[in-house]
Amino acid sequence: MKVSLNLLKKFVDLEGLTPEEIAKRLTFAGVEVESIEKIASASKVVVGEVIHCENMENSDHLHVTKVNCGPKYGTLDIVCGAPNCRKGLKVIVALDGCVLPGGTIKKGQIRGHESNGMLCSLLELGVDSKYLSEEQTKGIEELPASFEVGSENVLELLGLDDTVLDLKLLANRSDLYSVLNIAKEIKTLFGKEVNLPKASVKETFKANFKVGSETEKCPQFSARVVKGIVTKESPSWLKEALRSSGIRSINNIVDIGNYIMLVTGQPLHMYDLDKLEKQELIVRDDIEGDFVALDEKTYKLQKGDICITSNGKVMCLGGVMGSLACAVDEKTKNVVIEAANFDYASIRRTSIRLNLSSDSSQRFVKGINPNQYDYVMDLTADLLLSLADAKEVAEVDTYLKEKYVPTKIKSSVKYINGRLGTSFSKEEVLGALKAAHIEVKDSGDELEAIIPDHRIDITGEADLSEEVIRILGFEHIESKLPVTELFVGKLEPNLEKKRSVRSYLRGIGLDEVLCYSLVDKDEIDEFRILNKDEAYKVLNPLTDEHQYVRTNLLPSLMNTLIYNKNHSNDNVAIFEVSDIYSLPEHKSIHLGIALVGNDLRRYALKGEPYSYYHLKGVIDSLLALFGIDEKRAVISRLEEKEFHPGKSALLKIDGKPAAVFGELHPNTLKKYHLEKENVCVLEFDLSVLFETKTSLKKMSEISRYQSVKRDFAFIFEDKVTSKEVVQEVYRVNRELIKDVEVFDVYKGEHVKEGHYSMAFSIYLNSNEKTLVDKDISAVEEAVIKAIELKFGAELRK
Amino acid sequence: MAEEFSKVKEVEAKVLDEMSKVNDEASLKEFQEQHLSKKSELSQLMSEIRNVANEQKAKFGQAVNEARNKVMEAFQKKSQEINDAIIAKKLARETIDITLPGYNYKMGGINPFYLVQDEIIDTFVSMGYEVKEGPDVESDYYNFERMNIPANHPAREMQDSFYINPTTLLRTHTSPEQARAMDEKEGKPLMMICPGKCFRRDDDDVTHSHQFGQVEGLVVGKGITLANLKGTLELFIRKMFGEKRQVRFRGSYFPFTEPSVEVDVTCMNCGGKGCSTCKGTGYIEILGAGMVHPNVLKMSGYDPEVYSGFAFGVGVERVAMLRYGIDDIRKIYQGDVRFIEQFTRK
Repeated sequence: MKVSLNLLKKFVDLEGLTPEEIAKRLTFAGVEVESIEKIASASKVVVGEVIHCENMENSDHLHVTKVNCGPKYGTLDIVCGAPNCRKGLKVIVALDGCVLPGGTIKKGQIRGHESNGMLCSLLELGVDSKYLSEEQTKGIEELPASFEVGSENVLELLGLDDTVLDLKLLANRSDLYSVLNIAKEIKTLFGKEVNLPKASVKETFKANFKVGSETEKCPQFSARVVKGIVTKESPSWLKEALRSSGIRSINNIVDIGNYIMLVTGQPLHMYDLDKLEKQELIVRDDIEGDFVALDEKTYKLQKGDICITSNGKVMCLGGVMGSLACAVDEKTKNVVIEAANFDYASIRRTSIRLNLSSDSSQRFVKGINPNQYDYVMDLTADLLLSLADAKEVAEVDTYLKEKYVPTKIKSSVKYINGRLGTSFSKEEVLGALKAAHIEVKDSGDELEAIIPDHRIDITGEADLSEEVIRILGFEHIESKLPVTELFVGKLEPNLEKKRSVRSYLRGIGLDEVLCYSLVDKDEIDEFRILNKDEAYKVLNPLTDEHQYVRTNLLPSLMNTLIYNKNHSNDNVAIFEVSDIYSLPEHKSIHLGIALVGNDLRRYALKGEPYSYYHLKGVIDSLLALFGIDEKRAVISRLEEKEFHPGKSALLKIDGKPAAVFGELHPNTLKKYHLEKENVCVLEFDLSVLFETKTSLKKMSEISRYQSVKRDFAFIFEDKVTSKEVVQEVYRVNRELIKDVEVFDVYKGEHVKEGHYSMAFSIYLNSNEKTLVDKDISAVEEAVIKAIELKFGAELRK
Repeated sequence: MAEEFSKVKEVEAKVLDEMSKVNDEASLKEFQEQHLSKKSELSQLMSEIRNVANEQKAKFGQAVNEARNKVMEAFQKKSQEINDAIIAKKLARETIDITLPGYNYKMGGINPFYLVQDEIIDTFVSMGYEVKEGPDVESDYYNFERMNIPANHPAREMQDSFYINPTTLLRTHTSPEQARAMDEKEGKPLMMICPGKCFRRDDDDVTHSHQFGQVEGLVVGKGITLANLKGTLELFIRKMFGEKRQVRFRGSYFPFTEPSVEVDVTCMNCGGKGCSTCKGTGYIEILGAGMVHPNVLKMSGYDPEVYSGFAFGVGVERVAMLRYGIDDIRKIYQGDVRFIEQFTRK
């Protein structure tokens, strides 16, 4: 809402207040002033008259002029390039040294001609082009002949000596879409006197115009007939008032409607009386079909839209836009003025559906003063009489669903102080409420507040406390910590677990990233492995890029990887932990990891290329971190098109798929333009991990006796896995074999085709005694026998 | 007789002289074989004892032993010297460039978003708050209705929220968790925060993001006041931005709080004098807060006549950007490791 201080000044005393002071106080009271703008600015300008004007030789547009600037400045030679420059024109002259928004004017020579100033357009004084006509933006301003040559108060004469406050109104203060209510607010905050316009209209005839409503959605509908109007240009004060508020002047009739809305907040609509089929306006919401609006476009009406009808025909889409059929134009003589109130929800629905929004519909949607229609009608009629030569004014006909009753709120000083944590005296509280135009009935401890009709936002006790503190000032709030019973601060279990995972991963050097949850269609279809559910789709996305709620994390991480590769980050190890959502109502916590390039941890200078085993190590470590026994976690080959079939795996915990990980398939690398890279990725459904029940760890005994290590190497067929071998070894003697460690795997020379060599150590120990040779060799022999038997393996000597 | 004694001296001198020529491992070994073995002259000296008169035998033995000890002592010293030289040479060969980079055991970087969010969480946990998480995909009922934003309230404008269907949307704030927390507590006092992702239909630019993080806070109890909100936020803001920060309230509006305030903090760049960061005002807007609206309490089964509460919502990116001087919110979501790796701990 833009409010002109010149306009505001008409309704409230602003003497002694700077725009900055007003802005600051309003802002702290919850009415934020976003900017303070000067409409125009110029020093050293004067009204002049062009007394001589000739075209400059060698120029297609410059004029050489002599301008009479009055007794003080005399006649000046000025070169002017405006097409409308001519003899006899009254003009704005910027004198030597004049400061304009665009710079300072200096005397000079233009193509050999002396020029002692500049003839100005309003654009050059800083007036925004949206308030100017096309002619005004193309040439110098043509001043009225009545302006006196030599006058130095040009801005004031033009009504441009104005400052505009741009208010960022929050949804509760819809009352401030009215200059009169802003004036009241200034009174509230500064204690200044208000001077509200008084209407003095006398009705001159009975029109017997019929009004009514057949719908619940219209609590009030008023109409007044005014006859004999003349359409013409608005007077300059009205044009200026509108211009400073960002509204363009059209003609006196339209301008009066806009001015009344600007000043009172009540949207008006005007009908050409002679175009109505019947002397009636009836509100209905049961009409379907086509409707041709003022903008000459056709809209489809639905049941539920608020329609103002005459003889059953729609004359206006209530609160949104009038019909072309009864539009007021230059020929209109007789009008019906409408001032009504409509259900904000319906207006909003219609306005959104038809994509039709106006200053009027926005005011209805935010809520208007329900009890000022008579006053508004009188102010309007007054203006039509004085500015549009209206001849006759009829009475106001009003339909009212129910009588207006002001809001009354019972409260107490104790409640208000209790809510705020303040200790204001009763006088202070009552004084603040009174300043807010609230009438207070004081009956001892209790008080009853009667809310003024423009403050539809004040509906309860809590609102009164807000009025008090914003008027008395938030600086009165002290700092006091709450005194409550003691609570133990804690994280939800899943949050706690997420943190463990995140800090472990950062601990091994992975970078933690955060990606957008909304992704495009392609990203939903890729790596759709762990979670194959359907994705949530946004009905009203801003871009295709952010249209679906991601169901897996790997696509986002792949894109982050590519972003980094494109920015020459060669070695990238990133992860993200995020909740993911999918239909129907599925939520789980995912971990995604993406690695490319070399692991620099082991070999500082050259590093080691990332491989499947990096991720396998992460999986093993996470399982260990959460105390998941190896037997419950089963690794099997993964057959998914995105992954390298020989270097990828699926992890199941207690039979539930928990993670997929490994190196990528060449086709996937090609798709992401990463052909030359080795990329390893992992996606882990942490919810499976977090929900796996584990018992509290108890200490297990460590043997006091010497441990013995024995090494073995066997040749196995390729299909034999290390895990099978290790399990078989343990089976030989669960009591004495404490650990089995694979320390070498070899394929190549000296090992026949289709086979490989694997070496492992076993650690023997007893909790009861020191093992002697006999014990040890017995186990050794048993291990060899078991491995040979089970796998057909051959011991390497 | 004296002949035998002088031979001892002679051999001793000769061996010591030989020893002085030893200068490396090989000559040491050669010397040892030649002069210290059983068949060496020095070892054979004792056999001369048979030619010595009986009364002189003891003295002779002593002389031989002395000579041998002297030689052995000198030999020990010599071999020590040579060994030291060998080790010194070996170590010299092994010398490395101690300025080359060490193995890379760096902690991974952390997105400053999480750095800030984790710290906010820890701060409130230390004050006794419970931490809860709500869903990103939220019902219209919790996101709006329970937050005192009835149907057709302007705050519900389609252009502000991402809808999945007419009754489901991506949450626009973390406030719905207030209602859930109160539902769970069934009318008992509570202190909780809720960190989470939120979504609004904003075009992404330097300061706007269609996705952003918020931490919601809620305290409900008997006699909770606006002054309690100020005390709590002051403690929190000073922990995050430094002990010298001042906090001030400005009037505002949120449908679910009454009174509502914007909370400003003295500028962390200029300390309140006014600079470009705070656009000359000395203050920076940091979060929105207020006293829980009686309707919100009522809908959650709390009697607003008995209970009151305060609530606040902190923008995580905003705090991170202010604290670390991040000039573009999109950097937080880009995942450039050169950005992430600048942050490891607070």
